[in-house]
Amino acid sequence: MSDTALTLYVVDDDEALRRSLLLLLFSQGMAVRGFESGEAFLQAIDARQVGCVILDLRMGGMSGLAVLEQLRLRHSPLVVLFLSGHGTIPMALEAVGQGAFDWVVKPDTQQLLEKLPVALVEAQARADALALWHDLTPREREVARQVGLGQSNKEIARKLVPACSPRSVETHRASLFAKLGLANDNELGRWLTRHTWLG
Amino acid sequence: MSIEDRCRSRIRAIRLLRLRRNTQKRSGLCRTMPDCAIVDPVVMSAHSLVAVKSLSLSLSLLRRLSWQRWLRWSLLALVTGVVIALVGQWAEQRELHIRIQALQQAAQSTVLGLGGIAAKHGYLPYAATRHPDVQALLRHPADTLLRDRVNRYLADFQTRTDSAALFVMSVDGLTLAASNWNSAGSFVGQSYRQRPYFMQALQGRHSYFYGVGLTTGTPGFFISEPVRSGDEVIGVMVIKVSLDTLEHSWANSADPVVLQDSRGIVFLSSEPEWRYRSRAPLSADDLAWLAKNWQYGERTGYDLLPWRVLRTTGSPAYELHAVVKGQLRSFLALESVLPELGWTLVVTSDLKGVTQARREALVLAALLAAVLLLAGLYWQLHERRYSEQRQAKLELERRVQERTHDLEQAQAFRKAMEDALLVGMRARDPQGRISYVNRAFCDMVGYRDDELLGCAPPYPYWHPDELDKYRRDREGSMLAEAQPYGFESRIRHRDGHDVITRVYTAPLIDALGQNQGWMSSVVDITAQKQAEDRQHDQELQLQRSARLASVGEMASTLAHELNQPLMALSNFALAARNIASQAQMEVLVSALDDMVEQSQRASEIVQRVRGFINPRRGSYEACDVHAVIAHSLVLLKSELERQAVTVTQRLAEHMPSVRGNRVLLEQVLINLLQNALQAMQDLPAAERVIDIETMLLGRTVQIRVGDAGPGVPEGLLAQVFTPFFSTKPEGLGLGLNICRTLVEAHGGHLTVVNRLGGGAVFTFTLALSV
Repeated sequence: MSDTALTLYVVDDDEALRRSLLLLLFSQGMAVRGFESGEAFLQAIDARQVGCVILDLRMGGMSGLAVLEQLRLRHSPLVVLFLSGHGTIPMALEAVGQGAFDWVVKPDTQQLLEKLPVALVEAQARADALALWHDLTPREREVARQVGLGQSNKEIARKLVPACSPRSVETHRASLFAKLGLANDNELGRWLTRHTWLG
Repeated sequence: MSIEDRCRSRIRAIRLLRLRRNTQKRSGLCRTMPDCAIVDPVVMSAHSLVAVKSLSLSLSLLRRLSWQRWLRWSLLALVTGVVIALVGQWAEQRELHIRIQALQQAAQSTVLGLGGIAAKHGYLPYAATRHPDVQALLRHPADTLLRDRVNRYLADFQTRTDSAALFVMSVDGLTLAASNWNSAGSFVGQSYRQRPYFMQALQGRHSYFYGVGLTTGTPGFFISEPVRSGDEVIGVMVIKVSLDTLEHSWANSADPVVLQDSRGIVFLSSEPEWRYRSRAPLSADDLAWLAKNWQYGERTGYDLLPWRVLRTTGSPAYELHAVVKGQLRSFLALESVLPELGWTLVVTSDLKGVTQARREALVLAALLAAVLLLAGLYWQLHERRYSEQRQAKLELERRVQERTHDLEQAQAFRKAMEDALLVGMRARDPQGRISYVNRAFCDMVGYRDDELLGCAPPYPYWHPDELDKYRRDREGSMLAEAQPYGFESRIRHRDGHDVITRVYTAPLIDALGQNQGWMSSVVDITAQKQAEDRQHDQELQLQRSARLASVGEMASTLAHELNQPLMALSNFALAARNIASQAQMEVLVSALDDMVEQSQRASEIVQRVRGFINPRRGSYEACDVHAVIAHSLVLLKSELERQAVTVTQRLAEHMPSVRGNRVLLEQVLINLLQNALQAMQDLPAAERVIDIETMLLGRTVQIRVGDAGPGVPEGLLAQVFTPFFSTKPEGLGLGLNICRTLVEAHGGHLTVVNRLGGGAVFTFTLALSV
């Protein structure tokens, strides 16, 4: 597993704040792209990319929550870090419930600088998981999903399209466990739960 | 007035009308259709129906029954005639019977009289014979002395016995001595040997004889007695009695009386013409005997009596028609035989009385029959009228029943309809007592109809907070006489929840045009009202935030806006430190410039907020304080109404305008009023009062807003205007602070004091414009 080039995005409708963040992160040696609105961001990027996005919750146009919803729908592996004012903390909590990684209360720049590396580690983990996932055959991915749901080989064999024998399911299962470096069904379940964005 | 009542009164009216109609009918006023005002078409049609029916019925009856009727009538007339005749007959018979009895009595008395005469004089001759001189004379007829003595004796005897004459004869018929010996017509010397009474006496028998005297020529009654000497008849003693007195007494009676002898010859009669006339033609022997005996003098023939006799079998009497004193008269006659004398007495009685009695009986019977007939006719007429009336009555009863049935149907239909209504219906009498409610109304207030009926104000469902309003509304409704009108009313359901209704009230006018109360329809507008309130609140909310963000929102916006430049500053500062360590001077300078710029930005935000609260002098204008107050109250109207707060205003007259921003002044007032509302939330509705007062003090205007709440705790009076001080859990503690800032920005002061009676009074001053 090697470090993939992780992209960092900043989405904020306040030009000065956006520029200051870009300058700050840039000065720390990170590649950062800024967007002035959620719409522009969603249009410009590839949702299947691995990376981290700093989202302002309160924006004119699409709100931060709406952008998060769109990303989730597209099974994006992007790690989302919200910027929230004092008044919008309940919103931030709701956002975390919906799959955001964490939030930072404005104007605490220090907190941001502390949480960003953790978010980047998560982004890296997601990049690795995605790579492993892509190594699987479509058949194996399907079997993996079914196993994750706790189905037996026999049931999986019946449900697959086109159907196959439980024995071949067993083969797929062994193969995917090997590829993902997992030992048993439980580990696979946990892995899938952690990476729900895989879809 | 309920529908039952109306029903009943209607039926009553119909009955009354029927009664009146009957009386009119009786009095003959209602033969044709009435000219009076008929209000009930049912009754009228019933009447006309009955009239037409009875008319056609009688016509057809007349046609069908005419011959039967005639038959019946003629039969009746016949029977009546027969009955009358019978009655006449009976009366006649009865009268006849009475007459006959009277006749018999009269005859009996006459016979007795005659018998009396015979008896009285019968023994006289015998007594006279017993005188020794009489015996002696008969033995010695030539003895003149003796004869003289006997003559005197007989004369004396005659005088004493009131007889006509007394004489004695020898056996050869020669009269030896007589009472009238010294008169001209003396019997002495005369011979009466051919007379029957002499011959019979000679044979030794006591004898009677009536006849005309041979010597005197006057009729008389001769009684003869043999004079015996031992067994030998030596002579005959005779007494003659006159019956003139009897005959004279008869002549005085009204009806004729006749005495006839055994041959039918009348010798005594009340009618002189009938004397010596015969009832029947006499035989030759009889005529010869009469002539020989010289009974009735020298006459040789006897005329028949001019009588017409009608005999009826079974009756002792007969009818007799004869001419009396030139008049043809009818009599009832009765004959009685005197056997010893051989005579027959005929007494009569005038038949005029009998015919009279019959006529009277006939007249009476006819009258009675006429009366009976009239009574019958009257009864029949009465019966017919009665049956007609009964027919009409029955018809009316049926009509009334039908009508009642219809009304019941209508009533049931109306009941179903009223129960199906969603609108509440309530009727009240003029005293305000509830006389009717429908189901929807009961559901609306939660009381049963029997609990509501008869209730007088205050009604159980009246809302305790609105009693005054009900009274006003009620008075309004009473005054509003004939005009239907509507008003909004809050009532309390039995289970305690409030129901907001709209009430439309209209007067109930009866048939006489009198107001009998009010009918109200009550519509539950709670849901509508709540929706309206919500909408109104939302509008107000929007209006308020559009005019001026609430304090909390303002603070939030302020925080957000300030956060942006602050965070940017922080970012730039950190970035600058990073860059400085990397010695990238150009970027550093740029970052530092950005920091200055962001600081400036933050400063501007703060400036803007200040400027918002403390606007430039140019935005001040002349404001009408009273208009500001009025508008603030309008904005809070629904809030005030919901909490049932009474607002009293004492406004100074001729208030000049002040200098200020109208929107901001309104905000101050709204804030103060809202504080007052919140302070009185726990009070009963009746005690929730806000008073607003304005006063002109020199060049300033003082505005006071007082509430009836608990007031501000004494220890906190100094702190209420401090920022972020609040007694309310959700309050930000900026309201009064902002108010004070705003008032001070207008050059005035805002202060608070507690009133003695309770409650807080906020007072602020404003400078007059100019």
